[in-house]
Amino acid sequence: MKRIGLLYGVVVFVFSSCSKNSEEYQTINEPLEFVVPANFPAPIYDMESNPPTKLGFELGKKLFYDGRLSANGFISCGFCHEQRTAFTHHGHQFSHGIDDLEGSRNTPAIQNVAFMNEFTWDGATSHLDLFPIIPITNEVEMGETLSNVLTKLKSDTEYQNLFKNAFDEGEVNNENFLKALSQFMLMMVSSNSKYDKYVRQESGSQLTSNEQEGLAIFQAKCATCHSSDLFTDGQFRNNGLPPNPNLMDIGREEVSGAESDRYKFKVPSLRNVELTAPYMHDGRFGSLTAVLDFYTDGITDSATLDPLLKIGDNLGIPLSPSEKTSLISFLITLTDETYINDKRFAEY
Amino acid sequence: MKTFIYSLLALSTFLIFSCSSDDTDNSEELTGSGEVSLTFDNGFNGNDLVLGTANGANTNGESITVTRFNYIVSNFRLVNKDGVEYTFPKDQGYFIINQEEESDEVALPEIPAGEYTTLKFGVGVDQEKYLQGAEGQGDFLTLAEENNMMWSWQAGYKFLNFEGTFTSETVTESTDFKVHMGSHGSSLDNYKEVSLSLPMNVRVGDGVDSNIHLKIDASKILVGATTSIKLTEKSVIMVDEVKSPQIAVNTSQMFAVDHIHNGGGH
Repeated sequence: MKRIGLLYGVVVFVFSSCSKNSEEYQTINEPLEFVVPANFPAPIYDMESNPPTKLGFELGKKLFYDGRLSANGFISCGFCHEQRTAFTHHGHQFSHGIDDLEGSRNTPAIQNVAFMNEFTWDGATSHLDLFPIIPITNEVEMGETLSNVLTKLKSDTEYQNLFKNAFDEGEVNNENFLKALSQFMLMMVSSNSKYDKYVRQESGSQLTSNEQEGLAIFQAKCATCHSSDLFTDGQFRNNGLPPNPNLMDIGREEVSGAESDRYKFKVPSLRNVELTAPYMHDGRFGSLTAVLDFYTDGITDSATLDPLLKIGDNLGIPLSPSEKTSLISFLITLTDETYINDKRFAEY
Repeated sequence: MKTFIYSLLALSTFLIFSCSSDDTDNSEELTGSGEVSLTFDNGFNGNDLVLGTANGANTNGESITVTRFNYIVSNFRLVNKDGVEYTFPKDQGYFIINQEEESDEVALPEIPAGEYTTLKFGVGVDQEKYLQGAEGQGDFLTLAEENNMMWSWQAGYKFLNFEGTFTSETVTESTDFKVHMGSHGSSLDNYKEVSLSLPMNVRVGDGVDSNIHLKIDASKILVGATTSIKLTEKSVIMVDEVKSPQIAVNTSQMFAVDHIHNGGGH
């Protein structure tokens, strides 16, 4: 296991100088160790700028599950990001936010964000800290302003104390608010699937022959885009989905304004993919079988179609029915029961 | 702690400056530090910019009424007559000029004593600052949000928020326009730098606070030195791979130093 730089101090316990009976009470804070799984690349997030601590993480978690971050007091981050489905919105093609307004993109999973440099389907922001501003202020998601959220938190004595205990300069402000949310999300690492244990050769973990066959097909036909053990290259690509005329979602072009980015979306990680249906940026496919059928037979050509999906005049990825079955067996080995049951991230 | 470091920096810079000032001819020795304030006097093609009032037609034939004119200025630097550049502390160095709120002043305190010949600054927020995450933005995020300078959909800053109505030869009904310019994620960096020679040296030191009075010509946003942008073709310009960078260049050309007030007063 690689360990990264949280050596910014000997574990700092602040002992209260008084006895246990004393009413004067100082909370103990301590750094959290961020462990990089052996099969992962190096993290991208600069942990030194915001070293996770026990109390920073707990504050972040409370904020993540607090509906007061939204205009009506009910839509928390956790409302659309449910742990049991790897922090996606189970069963929802699109999520409904404030006033039951509906978005136009499928809720992405939250996992391994410390290793990512682009956020949202179109890369609207390239910094994790600033990401929460997007759902908080989006009119169809949480419909709130950052200033209002801070006003609400500032008037809450519990939050005042939690901020004070979690940060050196523990004011309830933007910086600490966003840092706390990042600390919570940074620690959300999914790395204990059956596949992980197999590649790390932990405790005799094995894949069945069917799963191994699926892995070999995956490596040959999918791993250029779904690369590394993060199962994404973090790039924006047009995978040939026929555009939905009711949505007219142009993808990355929304951010860059470049026609060359039309219909390009961020390659999603496939970790926990068994749990994160429906699939694609617009949640159009209800099953992994439908996804694979799309890759063999459903791809449409366009000016920005990813060249990897067009060989000569042939569109898509050739896969036989039995290869698809093996591939799905392999994809299911990416399900991480430890992660979706990890009490540290649970709402209750 | 930060304050301490800055005072230390300021002190050391001051020491360097006070050495070099030995060979100046000025009768009045400048010592210590003082404040340089900047006035952003917004105008439109030689006239005052009055929100809600029609301006004379642009050279491209469009007549514009401005209802909102806000922009971010940042990263101020002053170059002294020996060519030494003083950089105002970056983490205090982001300001919003807001015509609706009539906030048109930027105060730069504790500028080391000296005579400065050139003013440099940025329009917008540089990627370095953005990528500092929560730490880098601090309370500027809230300020930006309160001044309509946040793009919520991409958690980024609008460097320029320029709105109003226009008419042209073909658009005879008064039509809304919106020009919002900023950087977009990692795909488009629209931060621009401005460098302006001062018509006379600005002098600053203990007891000598001075003012640089800038005149801004908002008409240049659409009619720049090299690029003219017609609202008739597109009246809402936000994310546009071609026009947005042109707006950024034009905006950086709208600033001119009109005059200097040395030693107090505007």
